[in-house]
Amino acid sequence: MSQNIYLPNLAQIIEIKEETSDIKTFKLKFKDQAIEESFDYKPGQFVEFSVFGEGEAPFCISNSPTRKSGLECSVKRMGKVSQALHELNIGDTVGIRGPYGNGFPIDDLKNKHLLFVAGGIGLAPLRSLINYCLDKRGDFKEITIVNGARSSKDLVFKSEYEAWRGAKNTQLHLTVDCNEENWTCMVGVVPKILEQLKPTCQGSVAIVCGPPIMIKFTLPVLLKLGFCPEAIITTLEMKMKCGLGKCGRCNIGNLYICKDGPVFSYSQLKNINYDL
Amino acid sequence: MGKGCMLKITTKEDLTKILISLLNDFEIIGPKELSHKGIFYESITDLKDLHWGEGFTTEPVKKFFLSPSEYLFKGRYENGQEALEELPLPGNKRIIIGVRPCEAIGLSLLDKVFNAGEDQDKFYLNNRARTILVGLSCLKPDKNCFCTSVGGSPESSRGLDALISPVGNEFIIEIITERAKGIFESLGRNLNQEEVKLWGSDKKRREGSLNFRIKVSENLDNIFESEYWEKVSKSCISCGVCTFLCPTCHCFDLVDEKRKKLRCYDGCAFCDFTLEASGTNPRAARKERYRQRVFHKFDYFKKNFQENLCVGCGRCIRFCPVKMNIAEVVDKAPLV
Amino acid sequence: MVDELKAKVRELLKNKQVELVIGYQRAADGVSVIPCFVENEKDAELLIWDAYCVYNLSGYLKDYPGKKIGIVAKDCDLRSIVVLLQENQLKRENLFIIEMECHGVIDEKRLKYDTQNQEINFAQKCKGCPSAKLSIADCVIKDKGEKRKTPDDYDEYEPIRKMEAKAISERLKFWQEEFSRCIRCYACRQVCPMCYCPKCVAEQTQPAWFSKGTNLEGNLSWNVTRAMHLAGRCIDCGECERACPVGIPLRDINKKIQKDVQELFSYQAGLSAEAKPLFACFDKKDPDDFIK
Repeated sequence: MSQNIYLPNLAQIIEIKEETSDIKTFKLKFKDQAIEESFDYKPGQFVEFSVFGEGEAPFCISNSPTRKSGLECSVKRMGKVSQALHELNIGDTVGIRGPYGNGFPIDDLKNKHLLFVAGGIGLAPLRSLINYCLDKRGDFKEITIVNGARSSKDLVFKSEYEAWRGAKNTQLHLTVDCNEENWTCMVGVVPKILEQLKPTCQGSVAIVCGPPIMIKFTLPVLLKLGFCPEAIITTLEMKMKCGLGKCGRCNIGNLYICKDGPVFSYSQLKNINYDL
Repeated sequence: MGKGCMLKITTKEDLTKILISLLNDFEIIGPKELSHKGIFYESITDLKDLHWGEGFTTEPVKKFFLSPSEYLFKGRYENGQEALEELPLPGNKRIIIGVRPCEAIGLSLLDKVFNAGEDQDKFYLNNRARTILVGLSCLKPDKNCFCTSVGGSPESSRGLDALISPVGNEFIIEIITERAKGIFESLGRNLNQEEVKLWGSDKKRREGSLNFRIKVSENLDNIFESEYWEKVSKSCISCGVCTFLCPTCHCFDLVDEKRKKLRCYDGCAFCDFTLEASGTNPRAARKERYRQRVFHKFDYFKKNFQENLCVGCGRCIRFCPVKMNIAEVVDKAPLV
Repeated sequence: MVDELKAKVRELLKNKQVELVIGYQRAADGVSVIPCFVENEKDAELLIWDAYCVYNLSGYLKDYPGKKIGIVAKDCDLRSIVVLLQENQLKRENLFIIEMECHGVIDEKRLKYDTQNQEINFAQKCKGCPSAKLSIADCVIKDKGEKRKTPDDYDEYEPIRKMEAKAISERLKFWQEEFSRCIRCYACRQVCPMCYCPKCVAEQTQPAWFSKGTNLEGNLSWNVTRAMHLAGRCIDCGECERACPVGIPLRDINKKIQKDVQELFSYQAGLSAEAKPLFACFDKKDPDDFIK
């Protein structure tokens, strides 16, 4: 008989990093060596993460497939599963199903200038793509990263910033919502910062990920800057259960975020009726 | 009648005799009337309990394929480590008899979700493989039936292994698949040419007898933002009756319970269906949830699979505590 | 009666005494009755009133907080409005209650299956209706027809006493069989005016109180919990039983608790909007023989 599509693979937590007071990055290793070696994915894909006895929730894979030192998921403490996950320790067993989703359209990004726009935990799926692009630097043109958070304490992946700043033809702009003591970078919400930076739209693709309100105000700014809808890419999220397009929960219009997404272009979203 | 189909005519007694003999190898499931409560599919051990008359089961045959509640795997501790264990799939063979044509079409639609593409659901698949479906054509569709408006018919054999039509005191059996042939081939006698003609014209007459006809709007896409949805959804009480009793609804929930993974029915009508951990709820308003139901059935599924996710059985109308009528809603949907 | 009702509703809307009136109308099939939401004088024409106006519309009142709403109510519906007022879920000044003098509503399920009884079958709950006890309505539309008389020796708890007389094992077997059909659609909860918890106990995940599956444990837990949460609050409108698609006799469970509440505390729900809800207060005379 065919395999059980709902059965997760067992994985062990090998590292836990505290990014902020409520966000942790978990590094995992599959218990089955064969799966550990063969597990491959595209930036932008996600896994259904099981905390046994508590539940299962979708989290995007936050490290690049070009850096295979273990599967990383960056999780904000929010509901039942993430709260239980935050209580786990190194050595604990979790379950992983996946990878699911369509991932970022890498081929459409080649030879383009890339503008990454991230807010809060939204940097997690983008980090996977950013590091992928940096590892294949020649395939892409200028890279600009705009990363914002409520405060400096809420910025994630701080350990990456130095490498990003130092990478060839790559700029990193950090911003916080309100001014703070000893803060030397920009101040203001991400859409306002974009208006100030005026990134070029010629030959560029914008990849946006963040809380719904950030996306809502960032899209008009990008359009005003001249980005056409095909050149604006975002990754969406909704409550998910099966991750396979069967439980009927995560649809926007006739598309399922788990199967047809989570990555969508704005031109796709414009043509769909949805409630988000 | 399709190529390779056989048409037989038999008496109720002979049919009952065959079913009794089949009890040795199959579980026989059929409609049984529960006084004052409705007609339900039950395991039949005494063939006298089988309800051959008019009327519809409350729950559709879907529950025998996509279970209302089943465990998908379990976990246990082994040497201080978590281990996962598959649960044995039920293996007993079944014959479900008395299936209305609309319910069988419903299963063909669910096949597109569970049985197609790369990720096949082995629980659903196993149930499909071990079950023979014997249909019963509808002599008296009721006032809420509208199968002919959504591509179905009270005489449809789609998705069935065999279809029984009561004719006076006898039954005509249309044998459709090989496995039904193995069971019913020796029953009664073949129909002669005259009888086949009569059977054909009777079918046509019955198909035309449905009074409740609607036209499913092809235009729903354009009226997503219309005030119409607020108007038509006002009385919906957001329960799960329409979803759970629908032969084509397939939304489910996955829950960890006592180290077992439970799959149970869920529905887009419930307030918390799309509630996220952050507290955001894309469909917090009743009109958004009702609109989702209508669109999933008559727009989204059609975009993906070229058919409506509705077989016109009328259960949602019949059993809705406030008689919401999805057929009227799509029929009267405005153009702009 | 219906002409008087329509005129009243038109008057209320014209004078802007209410923004909306909730009543009953005929469905498109010409037979069934569905709820009617009247927002303008023209739509008042849609209103109907007959023995098929079964629904308890008071459950819709909580959907319009702060708005001035008119509602068409039968005696049982009035009792649920009283409980909602007792529990501060509604503001009296925002309601205009139009009481229709009701002589009983028809149970459609009995009509469908009780083919031997050719008489029109009124709902069980109507047989012992303690009508005309409440004077809470703003306006009463009287029925000039003959009122059905409840026999003096009518015992509303007779089916309950019959069940109580059975051995526990027999009772358990009965309820296990009934609850085996429960599909956890929560229609009983959604249709009940008294079930207004923003997050029902059945929907909690941290912790999850009982199984979501349709196993016996989950079904018993759900139904018994709901019945207990309705203790001292259920006014026997019978909507839960009517809404249940699989025919579970839910009224009997709530009726049993209603009987216990009457015997233990001499309390009946839904009679006085000023009275404190039963379990929101205590009395020194409350029974305490459970304290050993």
